[in-house]
Amino acid sequence: MKKKWMRWLTALLVLLSFLGFSGINHVQAADDSLQKVKDKGVLVMGTSPDYPPYEFLVNDGGKNTTVGIDISIAKQIAKDMGVKLQIKSMDFDSLLVGLQTGKVDMVISAMTPTRERKQSVDFSELYYTAEQSIIVNKADAKLYKDKDSFVGKKIGVQTGSLQADLAKEQMSSSPQLGLAKYTDLVLALKSHKVEGIVAEEPVALTYVQHDPDLALINGKFTLDPSENGQAIGFAKGATTLVAAANKSIDKIKKQGLIKQYMTEAADKMTTNTTDTSMIHYWKYFAKGIGYTLLITAISVVIGVILGTLLALMRLGKNKLLHALAVAYIEFVRGTPLMIQVMFVYFGLGIFLDIPALLAGIIAVALNSGAYVAEIIRSGIESIPVGQTEAARSLGLSQKQTMQSVVFPQALKNIWPALGNEFISLIKESSIASIIGVTDLIYQLKVVQTATYKGVQPIIVAMVIYFVLTFGLSKILGYFEKRMKHDEATH
Amino acid sequence: MTKPLIEIDHLVKKFGDNTVLNDISETINQGDVIVVIGASGGGKSTFLRSLNLLNKPTSGKIAFEGTDITGLSEKELDQVREKMGMVFQQFNLFPNMTVLENIKLAPMKVKNATDAEATAQALALLKQVGLEDKAEAYPASLSGGQMQRVAIARALAMSPDVMLFDEPTSALDPEMVGEVLKVMQDLAKSGMTMIVVTHEMGFAHEVADQVWFMDQGVIAEKGTPEQIFSAPKEERTKDFLSKVLAQ
Ligand SMILES: Nc1ncnc2c1ncn2[C@@H]1O[C@H](COP(=O)(O)OP(=O)(O)OP(=O)(O)O)[C@@H](O)[C@H]1O
Ligand SMILES: [Mg+2]
Repeated sequence: MKKKWMRWLTALLVLLSFLGFSGINHVQAADDSLQKVKDKGVLVMGTSPDYPPYEFLVNDGGKNTTVGIDISIAKQIAKDMGVKLQIKSMDFDSLLVGLQTGKVDMVISAMTPTRERKQSVDFSELYYTAEQSIIVNKADAKLYKDKDSFVGKKIGVQTGSLQADLAKEQMSSSPQLGLAKYTDLVLALKSHKVEGIVAEEPVALTYVQHDPDLALINGKFTLDPSENGQAIGFAKGATTLVAAANKSIDKIKKQGLIKQYMTEAADKMTTNTTDTSMIHYWKYFAKGIGYTLLITAISVVIGVILGTLLALMRLGKNKLLHALAVAYIEFVRGTPLMIQVMFVYFGLGIFLDIPALLAGIIAVALNSGAYVAEIIRSGIESIPVGQTEAARSLGLSQKQTMQSVVFPQALKNIWPALGNEFISLIKESSIASIIGVTDLIYQLKVVQTATYKGVQPIIVAMVIYFVLTFGLSKILGYFEKRMKHDEATH
Repeated sequence: MTKPLIEIDHLVKKFGDNTVLNDISETINQGDVIVVIGASGGGKSTFLRSLNLLNKPTSGKIAFEGTDITGLSEKELDQVREKMGMVFQQFNLFPNMTVLENIKLAPMKVKNATDAEATAQALALLKQVGLEDKAEAYPASLSGGQMQRVAIARALAMSPDVMLFDEPTSALDPEMVGEVLKVMQDLAKSGMTMIVVTHEMGFAHEVADQVWFMDQGVIAEKGTPEQIFSAPKEERTKDFLSKVLAQ
């Protein structure tokens, strides 16, 4: 639905196929995708659980479980195949790459099989086609009848979504505000930045049911049956898997199971929303803090070791090592952390099955190493050459000189810069949430979808981030002072 | 007793096209105190730093205690350098360590002395340079003269066979020059071989066995202090001395 990062993903895929790893996309003469899943005994499903009622998280006895219509469908398909279902959560934008790189066997995430997407993956037949609705403020409900009542009024859509295209074509005299999340769109609606939100009916319904200030009207859009409705995505050429899924879909349709799934999802949502206070969700935030700190702490350690190594390589006499270090540092600093995270998870993921958390840690650590290297280099260069000469003339080896004389002094000079790097790591580690690492940012989104509250989780997360960074800067400041104190004149 | 300690054989040092040491051949005997004088840029520092190979010679040989050290590996060089103490114009004390730690570092790291041994030795050396009460002080709290005396003690802690001094008093306020020269004088009396780059003519007069006048990369003239200061033969030596003495 969203195309925000598509440019990066395309670039990544182009790079991968350029490197000759594109074999995974090629149609194979005899497709063995179904057999492979059966051999594994596991069907891996990718989804972005921030889209109730299709897929969302519930707090089930203290544990996060992914539930929703799509999950029920996936369970049925797995059952029909006689295998277990495994759910991998990731950002919606990452789902197709997940398919192409073999991270997941199928994607069920309320995905419309657009022509664009069909070029890169295969789809099952449609399992559901929803009406398109418009969410409005209840106070204004009488003003609007359908899509044609919004002439000159601003409307909200999810960026890159089917609804955005529909609105562009059929509500051409209404300016658009595009946002990534429905929770944010609802906030915009309530503050009258937009007067209506185009959403498909089941989604619109969940928001209206959980918020007495909202109302729903039928958009009365003209829908093209080929570009509407939802299907299951598979890797290109996985014909046997598609066939198996279609068989299950037929059965589900025949038995009218979708309606039943919808009711179940609605029930789950009520358990979720009986208590929507932020306190009630403390476990989510606590888990998020845990992962954020875990990524940061491990990345700091690896980053410092790697950074030291790179700095020494860069300062050393060996031309090859010097060139390698310079190339690494410049390359890493010249590309966004986000694409590095995706590269480690999806790119390297082709060869190694790296779990999202590990991929996140690796990417953030590799990234931090480059920045730390430059900080350490500047620190070492800031020590007068006389210090080295004095140490060497006493018979200390180059290594001992580095260890006992240059490094301790350099460390003190760079401590503030190093501290800034650690603090920014706490914030930057949030990028790992796009591949489904359940850090603080990820949990913030989960709580937003679970509680239908947009602002409160943001405030909570903001305060938590601030406490973490402020606390860390205080601790670092304490050590800085102690190091200074050591040398104070007596 | 004239046992050669350092034998310099056709030493040449170039920085790019700039020939800084131009074919020097000299011998320094055990117990010699040699004062090197000369105009700025003449190559005095480069000469001293070539002796312990902080600068690698472009060509020529340097024999120390009988062995050529120009071809040694870095590891072997480390062992040679501990026998050649060096004192710098800018002291180069380690600012993050106390006076005591400055002195103890090399004996403990390089000679694997125990903490107790190194401490005892360091305190004795501090007493020798008159600073036993500054053991726990950090360099930043010392005067220039005190810092240079600590630097001498630090070099002596490795029990070197020769001490190289590169203008040890030129960064000092005039009232502190004396205390440093006194320490150096005592050291000379104790029989230490010393090569001292300095413009302290009084010190040279009193302490030096030989004075070398260095100019444009060569030892232009050498002799006893009397010969050099009272009856220089070379025109450039006379020039230089008249300029220095005019100050
Ligand atoms: N590392 C270096 N790289 C390039 N040139 C150098 C280097 N060190 C010294 N030189 C050059 O060598 C020449 C001699 O320098 P040196 O420091 O040995 O002279 P000096 O006699 O000690 O002078 P001063 O009395 O100013 O200390 C100068 O021209 C200087 O520019
Ligand atoms: Mg000099």
